[in-house]
Amino acid sequence: MRKVFLTVLVVLLGVFGWAQGDKLKACWIYVGPVGDYGWSHAHDQGRIAAAKALPWLETQYVESVPEAQAEAYMDRLVKQGCQVIFATSFGYMDSVLAAAKKHPNVIFAHATGFKRAPNVATYMADFYQLYYLNGLMAGALTKSNKVGYVGAFPIPELKRHISAFALGVRAVNPDAKVLVRWIYEWYNPAAAKEATEALIADGADVFAFTEDSPTVIQVAAEKGLPSFSHYSPMQRFAPDYVVSGQLVHWDKIYIDFLSKVYAGVYTPKNLQNVDYWWLLPQGAVELGGKFGEPINPKFIPVLKAKVVDHPVFGKISVYDLVMKELALMKDDELAFDPFQGPVKDRHGKLRVPAGLRMTKQQLESMEWAAPGVAGPWPNEPK
Amino acid sequence: MRRLGPFVIEKDLVAPPARVLAVSTLALLLAFAAAGVIFWAYGVSPWLAYKTIVAETLFSKSGFAEAVRRAIPLLLAGVGLVLAFRGQFWNIGAEGQLLLGAVAASGVALFVHAPAAVELPLMFAAGFLAGGLWAALPAVLKLRLGVNDVLTTLMLNYVAAYLVGWLIHGPWRGKSAFGFAYSDRFPAGATLPLVPGTYVHWPTLLLALLAALLVWLALERTPWGYRVRVIGDNPEAARYAHIPLFGVVFAAALVSGGLAGLAGVGEVAGVHHRLLDAYQISLGYGYTAIIVAWLARGNPLGAILTALFMGVIFASGDVMKLALQMPFRVTDVFNGLILFFLISSERLLYYRVRLAQSGEEE
Repeated sequence: MRKVFLTVLVVLLGVFGWAQGDKLKACWIYVGPVGDYGWSHAHDQGRIAAAKALPWLETQYVESVPEAQAEAYMDRLVKQGCQVIFATSFGYMDSVLAAAKKHPNVIFAHATGFKRAPNVATYMADFYQLYYLNGLMAGALTKSNKVGYVGAFPIPELKRHISAFALGVRAVNPDAKVLVRWIYEWYNPAAAKEATEALIADGADVFAFTEDSPTVIQVAAEKGLPSFSHYSPMQRFAPDYVVSGQLVHWDKIYIDFLSKVYAGVYTPKNLQNVDYWWLLPQGAVELGGKFGEPINPKFIPVLKAKVVDHPVFGKISVYDLVMKELALMKDDELAFDPFQGPVKDRHGKLRVPAGLRMTKQQLESMEWAAPGVAGPWPNEPK
Repeated sequence: MRRLGPFVIEKDLVAPPARVLAVSTLALLLAFAAAGVIFWAYGVSPWLAYKTIVAETLFSKSGFAEAVRRAIPLLLAGVGLVLAFRGQFWNIGAEGQLLLGAVAASGVALFVHAPAAVELPLMFAAGFLAGGLWAALPAVLKLRLGVNDVLTTLMLNYVAAYLVGWLIHGPWRGKSAFGFAYSDRFPAGATLPLVPGTYVHWPTLLLALLAALLVWLALERTPWGYRVRVIGDNPEAARYAHIPLFGVVFAAALVSGGLAGLAGVGEVAGVHHRLLDAYQISLGYGYTAIIVAWLARGNPLGAILTALFMGVIFASGDVMKLALQMPFRVTDVFNGLILFFLISSERLLYYRVRLAQSGEEE
């Protein structure tokens, strides 16, 4: 609670600004176009919200910056007066470190990275809690006991999300399977369509995905099948078929970070240990396919009708279970976590011992698959 | 022949350099004018836009260095394509050959630990060989079985991109990459030195200039180059003159792919220092090199100018995004307009306009 209070105080200080008149210029480097309706779009929404909330903030962005060009772009941004630079792709990591060394008075923040320096912080807003809640709903909705998942790349981030999703599915439906197909592309509507159709042919009747377009939702909706929105508010692409989803609020991190820079809490000398790993309690992520609506009202009756026998809560409807666990995970004390031990992988090997949870580092480098995940899983540990 | 007022327009199939220059300049000016309309529609004054672009690419040290950095792979691959096109080997596969060069160089950098003085030359040699072999495959198919080289070289680009993808997701995925699809970083001895204060990896630049000179010498001053030219100008005549078609074209294809391979080595050893996603390695250099070669009109030395020109165009995209805050697609529009006007002006090269003499009829 104290942490929250301090944060609020700093943000307020930032908003009403003691050091009136001084502007702070923050610049963003995006890996994709701001119109991609996925990753870069969400970061840009965060930038716009921060610029609106902080009157002393001046912003600039560059879109579609290839990794090879990142360092040269950062040089130029510094030359143009940027005091804080947000680099929003993992691939920029080494460029950020090199640029930070060259410009020791500029503050850098690198999304999804793990290398820091006195003037380089890292930050990430993660979805694994939301995926678990999505999984609970998917498990309740599937009739064929086959849930389809279209994945971009088999990297730890997705493996963590799909495993959390599968744990959710299995928590309400122990017989269900999550069929995974990889498309090896962050944005490829054609491949996403093909993968969804293949999953439908395999019998899947509920869908979730990681890809920067609403294709999976649209293909599933054509067949009358429900799905979960990813990253952006995609419910509007199929209002009758999107159950819920995962939404991000990068602005929460940006406003907090920039306010602390403005207030002098963060300087180019003390960021070595500044690592934002923001989840539900900080409001950096939100459950739903539409802001302000955690579950599509059209699906509430069917989720309320499905009652499961829960080890902790006893007889409970899936709707109530989702809401209860959402509330628990929003709590600062983290009263509930999807990877609460004991958790075994899909080959029966114990991965999280009873009474323990996964550390941030374990989550970030997770390679194993939870029980119920079916399909290829590159680099799966034995 | 056509009379137009006091002028006569007539066909002239040998275009003198002055006309090529005049027509190309005219096409560029028209393209700039058309792009200016788009800038204006976007709300940026065209005059200001061009002033900024010129100032930030040609008259700024870091901006010009960025143009040169882009010109390096374009020149290497472009010179190779000039050679291939002269021998009527329609190599559309420089992109894939470049990637194969990057793969081979990465293999050496990651798994062969030679002394630094040997490591880099070894990487370049491996890259040349890999790129060359990637081009040799379609060359053999064309020369022995008559398979269309445009299709095979183009398709092999995708195979190469998938090969890179497989390597970085599978066997070569780095231990330090945290599960992301990158190889480990090359050891320091396997990275190229830069011109201080810029990102220009000068050994590759020297190599590229040398390649342009050597290919020009080979084409213009050696019997082998003569054979390539004869085959290119008239394959039937070449056959009649008992020029060994297979050997000559095969060698041209090998060198062409090899040079693109060298470009790939330069990109991974000079810029990225690791093997990574195919689209991040090359940024389409292999395709742009086709334009470089085509604009050079069969002259390897001309490719130095055209590669630099395309490098400036690439760099002007940075300026448009950064200094003028235009969306990144504007770069593509800009490049597209330039190509559109250059290609449509092609027909004009083969006509000349002169004053009509008295008594000349229509």
